[in-house]
Amino acid sequence: MLKEIGSLLTGKWDFFGSLLLEHIEISTAAILIAIVFGGLTGILISEYRRTAKPTLSIVNFLYTIPSISMLGFLIPFSGIGNVTAVIALTIYALLPMVRNTYTGMTNVDPAILEAAKGMGSTELQRIIRIQLPLAMPVIMAGIRNMVTMTIALAGIASFIGAGGLGVAIYRGITTNNAAMTISGSFLIAVLALVVDFVLGFVEKRAGLRGRRARRQNRFMAVAAGILAVCVICAVVAPGHKDRVIHVATKPMTEQYILGEMLKAMIQQDTDLKVELTQGVGGGTSNIEPAMEKGEFDLYPEYTGTGWNMVLKRDGLYSEKEFDTLRNDYEKNLNLTWVGMYGFNDTFGIAVRGEIAEKYGLESCSNLKRVASQLVFGAEYDFFQRKDGYDMLCKTYGLKFRKTRDMDMGLKYQAISNGKVDIMPINTTDGQLAKADVTVLRDDLHMYPSYRCGNVVQMETLEKHPELRAVLRKFNGIITNEDMQKMNYQVETQKKEPAAVAKAFLKKKGLLR
Amino acid sequence: MSTAVEFRHLRKVYGDTVVIPDFSLCIEKGEFVTIIGSSGCGKTTVLKMINGLYEPSGGDVFVNGKNIRDLDLIALRRSIGYSIQGSVLFPHMTVEQNIAYVPNLWNRRDREKTRRAVDKWMDIVGLDAGLKERYPAELSGGQQQRVGIARALAASPEILLMDEPFGAVDAITRGQLQKELKQIYEKTGITVFFVTHDIDEALRLGTRILVMDRGEIQQYGTPDEVLRSPKTDYVKMLVARYRDEPPT
Repeated sequence: MLKEIGSLLTGKWDFFGSLLLEHIEISTAAILIAIVFGGLTGILISEYRRTAKPTLSIVNFLYTIPSISMLGFLIPFSGIGNVTAVIALTIYALLPMVRNTYTGMTNVDPAILEAAKGMGSTELQRIIRIQLPLAMPVIMAGIRNMVTMTIALAGIASFIGAGGLGVAIYRGITTNNAAMTISGSFLIAVLALVVDFVLGFVEKRAGLRGRRARRQNRFMAVAAGILAVCVICAVVAPGHKDRVIHVATKPMTEQYILGEMLKAMIQQDTDLKVELTQGVGGGTSNIEPAMEKGEFDLYPEYTGTGWNMVLKRDGLYSEKEFDTLRNDYEKNLNLTWVGMYGFNDTFGIAVRGEIAEKYGLESCSNLKRVASQLVFGAEYDFFQRKDGYDMLCKTYGLKFRKTRDMDMGLKYQAISNGKVDIMPINTTDGQLAKADVTVLRDDLHMYPSYRCGNVVQMETLEKHPELRAVLRKFNGIITNEDMQKMNYQVETQKKEPAAVAKAFLKKKGLLR
Repeated sequence: MSTAVEFRHLRKVYGDTVVIPDFSLCIEKGEFVTIIGSSGCGKTTVLKMINGLYEPSGGDVFVNGKNIRDLDLIALRRSIGYSIQGSVLFPHMTVEQNIAYVPNLWNRRDREKTRRAVDKWMDIVGLDAGLKERYPAELSGGQQQRVGIARALAASPEILLMDEPFGAVDAITRGQLQKELKQIYEKTGITVFFVTHDIDEALRLGTRILVMDRGEIQQYGTPDEVLRSPKTDYVKMLVARYRDEPPT
């Protein structure tokens, strides 16, 4: 495992390096805002003591909101991406900052403050020249605490489409790649430790009072300042925003692959640059609002999901209604569908191969005669859901011999070694490519159709007409079996989504 | 001689406690007034009402003939030297920065003038110039007191307020500091208010002694007057042991 992580880190340093940089950017922004804002708040409540208690209670309360729900609350206000992440991180960073500033300021010896006042300092002079410097050790402890926390917490920012090392963690989790997850976590830990060490060093230097130490300090401060300015310039400099296409994907293995395909093809066929935000947490419910705000230009979506979740239509979607779907998108949302990949990622029912052969099973209707002899296995959730087990039995009039709860990750194993005979699947499951199972046709159309295609901003297509031609090239090139195989390569064979995507496009002759 | 500070029917109340019931007194310019009394007698309260650190509950304080209610308190405080118990230096500033604190409050541009003032006062209070870069924690108790005095005087005030400045030093250093303070006073001719609870110190330093008890003036007079004709029982008790041998 260690070796795997090592080779992953060295082999994909470009990827991790840019995430690391982004992680630093997001954390730094939040930290700086928190220092200024939290510091000011701390100072103000130490001056107006009566406001201290309510303020600290509010800050405390904000701190106790679970980070996932905090991000959820913020999305309607600030959308998806780095801004929301910075806001959330700032909110959490406030508590240590405000509390330590307040404690530090109020613990300064009152005799010293009275001396300062008695000698004719204005309030501001007393605060800046006397109280703040004396409170600094306590404030600095708060800052160190807060910085470490913020860097760690920034790891969850990827949940809402922000960048940073959380992207690696999240991608590792969704594509079943433990080495990736651990590498991301490892880098976050290293970053936090390094920054804490640097702050500790600064703190120690600032405490040195010799004449020479002070000269050295001044020199180091200037050097650090110049370095910081250079870094900021380098980060801020690249512009040309309107030549960039922002592509989002949902946190699913196949979407990671599609994202890489889109990026490769668009960058090959046009001179547009692609900014890929992989695996936005919450999927459609977070990407769709961001599309409407114009933060993303396109993302791969499924027709059934668009019908029910985005257009909020009732009833079962079938592909006969595709024109209506697209019209509604164009009319109501100023979005359209271009480039339908061909595969359909819907739910399905699969039986072990030998059983299908023995009884000649092809469609779900065929099950009626044999159901009473079969064991039905599914994840716990399936037996609870409205459109789960009960709907299946009712639609096709089935009664199985027995049902069994299983872990999602182990169900293909369970069916191949005979623990269960029949189970629900997703039609693009990577494991379907290798498992000896037969997927039964949903002949009564119990499940909606979920064909995959790109939802695109119409405005973007007008601005860059060449984009439409690229997206059209994806029409019908990926079958369910193709998608299963590619998912399998990423999830089980641990190949990179980008590599899998490129290999497929090359085989199809689309990528040079 | 004209009046430096005048108190007119001064009154100070904390909640239900009357600290100063009714306090009136005129102090001439150039006096060294030692204020003595047991703790809680209101001597520090009177001192802090001169530079407006405490606001009177009633009555008025006049400094150089002006009611301090009409003055900008910040400017007033900068023009009055202030040194409190143990001198309380700013621990994060060097000796130089401590002494230059008040001049720097005015403005930081005339650095040359400030540096000269620092040098002058360090010399007067007997501090070696090599100590400039030291921090208070690196000084002896006596040196710290001297820095405290220099800091209070650096802006060349006409009035100096001192609240038990030598409370925390040993007897020998204390004697030296008292002698030096007396010399500085004689050299500059400023008006000094010096709070103490030590009758020796009060008699040795003061040109006038203000004896207070329970917020009221027991006696205000020269050391001689206080020694020879104590006005109340409290003053009598205070000077009892000097009946026969006046302090040197």
